[in-house]
Amino acid sequence: MITVILQILRRSRGAILGWGLSLGLLGFYMMQFYDTLAEQQGILEELISNYPPQLMAFFGGTENLFSPQGFLSMEFFSIMPVIVGIYAIVTGSGLLLGDEENGTLDLLLAHPVSRTKFYFGRAIASALSIALILIIVWIAFAGGVAISEQLDLGALEMLRPFIVLFAMLFLFQMLSLLLSMVLPSRSTATMAAGLLLVGSYFVNSLSEFNQTFDKLADYLPLRYYQSGYAIEGLNGEWLLGLFGFGLLFALLGWILFLRRDIRVSGEGSWRLPGWLIPWKRIRKDS
Amino acid sequence: MDQNPAIQINALLKNYGPVRALRGVNLQVRRGAIFGFLGPNGAGKTTAIRCMLDLIRPDGGTLRVLGLDPQKRSVEVRARTGYLPGELAFDGNLTVEAGLRVLASLRGNHLDWPYVLRLARRIDLDLKPQFKNLSKGNKQKVGVVQALMHRPELLLLDEPTSGLDPLMQQEVLRMVREARDQGATVFFSSHIISEVEELAERVGIIRHGQVAETVEVDTLKRRSLRRARVRFQKPVKTQFLARIPGITILVQDDSQSVLLQIEGEMDALIKALARHPVSEFETERPTLEEIFMAYYTEEQEVR
Repeated sequence: MITVILQILRRSRGAILGWGLSLGLLGFYMMQFYDTLAEQQGILEELISNYPPQLMAFFGGTENLFSPQGFLSMEFFSIMPVIVGIYAIVTGSGLLLGDEENGTLDLLLAHPVSRTKFYFGRAIASALSIALILIIVWIAFAGGVAISEQLDLGALEMLRPFIVLFAMLFLFQMLSLLLSMVLPSRSTATMAAGLLLVGSYFVNSLSEFNQTFDKLADYLPLRYYQSGYAIEGLNGEWLLGLFGFGLLFALLGWILFLRRDIRVSGEGSWRLPGWLIPWKRIRKDS
Repeated sequence: MDQNPAIQINALLKNYGPVRALRGVNLQVRRGAIFGFLGPNGAGKTTAIRCMLDLIRPDGGTLRVLGLDPQKRSVEVRARTGYLPGELAFDGNLTVEAGLRVLASLRGNHLDWPYVLRLARRIDLDLKPQFKNLSKGNKQKVGVVQALMHRPELLLLDEPTSGLDPLMQQEVLRMVREARDQGATVFFSSHIISEVEELAERVGIIRHGQVAETVEVDTLKRRSLRRARVRFQKPVKTQFLARIPGITILVQDDSQSVLLQIEGEMDALIKALARHPVSEFETERPTLEEIFMAYYTEEQEVR
């Protein structure tokens, strides 16, 4: 299994460094921005009070904007599940199906490695790739906090929101892996998981102002994401729930992978019946 | 040596949705043999090979590879098998050497690397370029090397010389024969008749997901149709030839020369010709290709 893990990590090293360093630089810069923000709190409060609350809700809410946790939520952690979520979803859906669609999986699985070890090796490696990205970003944040005059946070306190973010990304990565085992192609799995992520973000953001969205948000994962407020302490139940669902998706994906016929390059999977696809109907009619 | 057959397949079924890819394949390959699996594209050759490696699961029938059930002991089967897929795909960003090392690591790194280098040298395979920059022929060479590099007991080769130039084809066939000489069993699929004729000892002919026949290559060639060209010293009424069982007149150039097709023994023909002055008598065996085509023509006529 170690071989499989190392192979994927080696393949992902560019992406890990690219995502980690760019987000880390952003975080480091933001930490410096907090000092200015704190100095001009009065002016900014007046300015923000004129913004529609719905708009502010999209950026993580207005509550405690000038506290470290409010600032970190609004500027970084509220949007990160969507931004790094794209990486998580793309890597999750491509973890097996990417290689299957380009024909590589056929050759790899003809070697003496069990499907279970292959599957979990790859799943662990892809989760590790996210963890490594977040570790790089966390180091940059910790460096930024150390330089900041206004932010009075320890490195371990700063680690908490990253743990929560990791749990959320792990859940979406394993969900897209599961969907890739169910849906006919990598692109449809990516699209389905992406829609759920973005939809969840919108519903959760609007739930403050709309009761229907509020009820719906209870069934979506982002409701249980603490964002920057995890600095104050981790919600164990929420965290376990996110990791638990992530593991459940991984296990379901594993069961499906064990039963799967490995396709070779160019072979199709199942398709929706033609009468269910409107554009196909139109083409046929014309 | 283990007396179990290297490959034992009974009533193997595989469907892809409504498509019946394998419709009850029966096959046995003895250890140490070179077995050719011959059939046109879409006949089920690749499907059968992929079932042997547990890459796809059959819908019925039984399958034993090296005496093992590939579904229950897939890792062991794969450890003892070398597989060359019909179309080799690999991580394009890796160099050939890095790719071979990745595959070696999946085999536990117990490889004789100088042997790998020797194999690569024999077929002029450069290990430095990235996989994505290789031509089809060079990709095929990588496939050949990775299939042979751990000295497997069983070689499953799907179209082994596809994309190679004639010189390299000969070298690859030599390497396969050497593997057999060292004790390996070779099962290879092909639709190139000359390749099967040159390499295989036995051949299984698959059509529409069923093995039509398994037979020694020599027997197949011997017992099947032959052609004879007869030239008489003077004009002869040749209708008597058509009345001999198993003889068909294919071409009658003039009253002195005929081209015949002979099915079965030639004794009756020789005796009939002995009553006439014959100046030339030439027989020729059809190529395996012609035999193969005859299989398909017959089958289509039946349908």
